[in-house]
Amino acid sequence: MKHFLLRIEPLVWLLFGQGILIGTILLTGWLIVIGVAAPLGLVAPGALAYERAHALASHWIGRLVLLALIALPLWKGAHHVRSLSLDFGGAARDATLAAILYSVAALGSLLAICAVVRL
Amino acid sequence: MAGAAHPDAMQPSRPGRTRTARPQRPPQFPFRGRYAAYTLFDITGVLYLLVGFVALRVVWALGNGAAAWHEVQRELTHPSYVAFHVIALISVVFVGVRFFRLFPKAQPPRIGPVKPPPQPVILGFLYAVWIGVAGLMTAILAGGIS
Repeated sequence: MKHFLLRIEPLVWLLFGQGILIGTILLTGWLIVIGVAAPLGLVAPGALAYERAHALASHWIGRLVLLALIALPLWKGAHHVRSLSLDFGGAARDATLAAILYSVAALGSLLAICAVVRL
Repeated sequence: MAGAAHPDAMQPSRPGRTRTARPQRPPQFPFRGRYAAYTLFDITGVLYLLVGFVALRVVWALGNGAAAWHEVQRELTHPSYVAFHVIALISVVFVGVRFFRLFPKAQPPRIGPVKPPPQPVILGFLYAVWIGVAGLMTAILAGGIS
């Protein structure tokens, strides 16, 4: 497992780095509107109506943005949680934890691809 | 072509005679001094993981039709979801500020024959993209741009 984790390290670091860079850039607007403003009723009525939301999301740009917005933060999260575990003395469990976290991120990324394809 | 080396290939066959001190955590770890921001930066990973899965759920519901979309929007109005998203938004801003401040310093002196732009230019560019994209997404999602 340790060998495999070292082999995929360049890919994990690429996705982790993009999770910080692109994930942060995209999540800001998403969280402001979908997470905070819309639930508090601060968004214009009809802005997030199903037809409009579906039209925005099913455009190819919308699909790409949503895929990046879901998948990249998962890799950022997985790698940082692994790093957090190592800092708190988790070297002995690192291989197992890393395998679990990266599997969760990979599964989430696959589901994100399915989610944007089926829109 | 030779295969990849085993990760422990360079380890000595038996422990060396030199005694080494046990690794010790710095006294300020994890939440004092400069370690506070470092540890918080790592902890944001938990929030990014959760935000990613909540976003997945929202997009999945959108694909399930109007009823599922309205249901997930109703769920997001629960105070615990709103509080979570406010904390996540603060975390995202914290990560952005910390990472963008680091990014220009991490550039190599040269990229091939080209020198990277001065650090303030890179930093300004990153902030401009961040604010621009966030503003555009906010305007589109909130209905300001149709």
